Amino acid sequence: MIKRLLPFLALLTLFVALSIASPSFLTSQNLSSVVRQTAVFNTLALGMTLIIISGGIDLSVGSIVALGGLGGTMAMAKGVPIPLGVLLGIATGLLCGLLNGILITQLRIIPFIVTLGMMGVLRGLALIISDGMPVHDVPKGFQFLGEGTVFGFPFVLVVLIACAVLVHFILEHTRLGRYVFAIGSNAEAAVYAGIPVNFHTVAIYALCGGLAGLAGLIEASRLSTGQPTAGQGYELQAIAAVVIGGGSLRGGEGTVIGTLVGGFIMGLLANGSDLLGINPYVQQALIGAMIIVFVAVDELRKRRVPS
Amino acid sequence: MLLQMKGVEKRFGGVTALRQGDLEIRAGEVHLVMGENGAGKSTMMKIIAGMQKRDGGAMIWQGQTVDFENPKQAAQMGIAMVHQESLLAPHLSVAENIFLGREIPGPLGTVNRRKMLAEATRLIAQYGFRLQADWMVGRLSPAGKQLVEICRAIQNGTSLLIFDEPTSSLSEAETHEVFRIVRELRERGTGVIYITHRMEELRSVGDRVTILRDGATVHTEALATLTRDRMIQYMVGRAVNSIYSREPLPPGEPLLTVTGVSTPSLLRHVSLTLRAGEIVGLGGLMGAGRTELCRAIFGLDPVSSGTVEVDGRPLALRNPREAVAAGIALIPEDRQRTGLARDLPIGWNVTMANLDAVSPGGVIRHPEEERVTREAIDRLRIRCENGRQRAGRLSGGNQQKVVISKWVNRGARVFLFDEPTRGIDVGAKVEVFAVMDELARQGAAILMVSSELPELLQVADRILVMSQGHLVGELPRGCSQEDIMRLATAPPESGDLLQ
Repeated sequence: MIKRLLPFLALLTLFVALSIASPSFLTSQNLSSVVRQTAVFNTLALGMTLIIISGGIDLSVGSIVALGGLGGTMAMAKGVPIPLGVLLGIATGLLCGLLNGILITQLRIIPFIVTLGMMGVLRGLALIISDGMPVHDVPKGFQFLGEGTVFGFPFVLVVLIACAVLVHFILEHTRLGRYVFAIGSNAEAAVYAGIPVNFHTVAIYALCGGLAGLAGLIEASRLSTGQPTAGQGYELQAIAAVVIGGGSLRGGEGTVIGTLVGGFIMGLLANGSDLLGINPYVQQALIGAMIIVFVAVDELRKRRVPS
Repeated sequence: MLLQMKGVEKRFGGVTALRQGDLEIRAGEVHLVMGENGAGKSTMMKIIAGMQKRDGGAMIWQGQTVDFENPKQAAQMGIAMVHQESLLAPHLSVAENIFLGREIPGPLGTVNRRKMLAEATRLIAQYGFRLQADWMVGRLSPAGKQLVEICRAIQNGTSLLIFDEPTSSLSEAETHEVFRIVRELRERGTGVIYITHRMEELRSVGDRVTILRDGATVHTEALATLTRDRMIQYMVGRAVNSIYSREPLPPGEPLLTVTGVSTPSLLRHVSLTLRAGEIVGLGGLMGAGRTELCRAIFGLDPVSSGTVEVDGRPLALRNPREAVAAGIALIPEDRQRTGLARDLPIGWNVTMANLDAVSPGGVIRHPEEERVTREAIDRLRIRCENGRQRAGRLSGGNQQKVVISKWVNRGARVFLFDEPTRGIDVGAKVEVFAVMDELARQGAAILMVSSELPELLQVADRILVMSQGHLVGELPRGCSQEDIMRLATAPPESGDLLQ
């Protein structure tokens, strides 16, 4: 109970405190910009939630952001219609994730190593296919994904909520989601129970890759360019969001709502620091410290109860 | 008097683990501590060994009240503990593990490896262990690890040694090895506290017994005068049929047929048949290949030759999925590691092997899953608050029932029980046997691996015995422990009856 509540309370406290501290915080313009700024790594964090619950990790999502964004924008620059370009970007991410999953299950190398390697491989690939140059020739309409509004809300919020609902549904209501928990909680017991562990592992890495591809398109749309250097370090932000939201790197624990709360806590911290004129160097340290505090509180809570 | 514990209490949050812990240990005695799981034995031992702090009561060590902040302080006073689960560093050598945390220093803050190796070798020789100081601990068998733990504990001037179920993972021969060490310690005047579930092996080692129940000491008596039935009564607080007995059924059709199965590592031409309604015991020493046979049938280990048929249909023996689909269930030896998802709800464990049944089209029907869970809880009498409780919070016996219910829910027909009663208390053992009996009555075929001979004799309709990877013989119901041991220790060439 407390566990689910703590990040919520922190988010709420932060929200109220910032509303009081800065008059420009509680404006639709500012809140929209928080949503837009956090959309990319919140989308990544959704996929990362699946991976972390399964006891894995995906360090390559930042590179997939670049590759997915490039895949989509390069196609659009060649005249492919926008929706098809978006699908191509997502498919690019999906393929990268699929490759991660296949390498992890077939070579039996731990996810940390495989995705660390893939982080470099995919980043290199992004630089190679773009020759290190950004893709500027993007159709105007593509900006709607990252910057557009529907009924006064940022369109990315709609996209994010749709993805969140999807991932939540998968986790809580489908066989795939249940197996994610089973594998993360005790992979060996999952094998003994006859669960097709490899298949489901590949599936979630592919899903995570697809979401990272979408995140890459959002980034490209916000920048109006496909950048081979986009998304650097985003994988760590995504992991941080999951962990602050109660996900456990030991596997078997985590929720979509927690992850989003974690993501928005980080977003508000950054936004609040900007509004209050806190030095960006301090900002970095603050967010880093928050990660440790949240996990420490969680560990203390667990330690009070005997196993 | 070496140690006195008077009214010791320990609480974890709202849970009271120990409320009235009394214990007296004399120098040179072997004192058995018994009780069901959750009775407070381990908590009391951890307090004595400085791993946990007591919340109340007194602890008097050689006439002085003591408070240990950590195990190191306890060790300095001469108290050491041999843990049930190995707390060793698998990548270090035997010698390095023995001296872990108190390395012999060399010059300039280095470690004197040569001296440690020599010291460890001396210690090993002194007790006649079959170990070498430079072996890697990760390569050792459970028994070997136990010996290293013992070496660690008895290094220097230990006057009280605590064994936490030292023999639960050991074979008969290895158990005798541990007993030999215990006797030797007693002769040197060391006090020994010995926690155990295995009553039948106590008589030869123990001097006195203290029994705990529900966090309190209920009885202390000389072992020689305490009968087995009374001991059980003290432990469970009620009279229990100390000997489980079951009425065998006339066996039905063959369900599982294993023919000439060999593995690259150990098994040699093993053949057996399990019939519907049968409980077949599988005895043998540690390392005889019993667990390996279960793993091979279940598709976990590669098979070099031979076939396994369920209902006349051969299995490809490539992975557990296929075995599960054919109706085979494996209740593994190592429940914590391979049987149970401890952090997940009971209900999720129950449906894990048969999730398809409650998730048509891949979407889980939660009400249906809850219904199935409730049924499983009722049917196997799993004691819990509800199906949403984490499986790891249950007692050992109830955890085992959750593992079994996973397979009952799957509708498995061939059950491979590998040491189903390890580490669970008497009452729960009887319940596990009752479940096995019920499964057999409903037409399942059961293979039960056990290192506890009386269990095999009480539960099994017939007993197969393995030795060094061979199936060396079959004994009828009503045979004696000696019959089993004779086969189990015989060289396989002379007794290879079933090839």
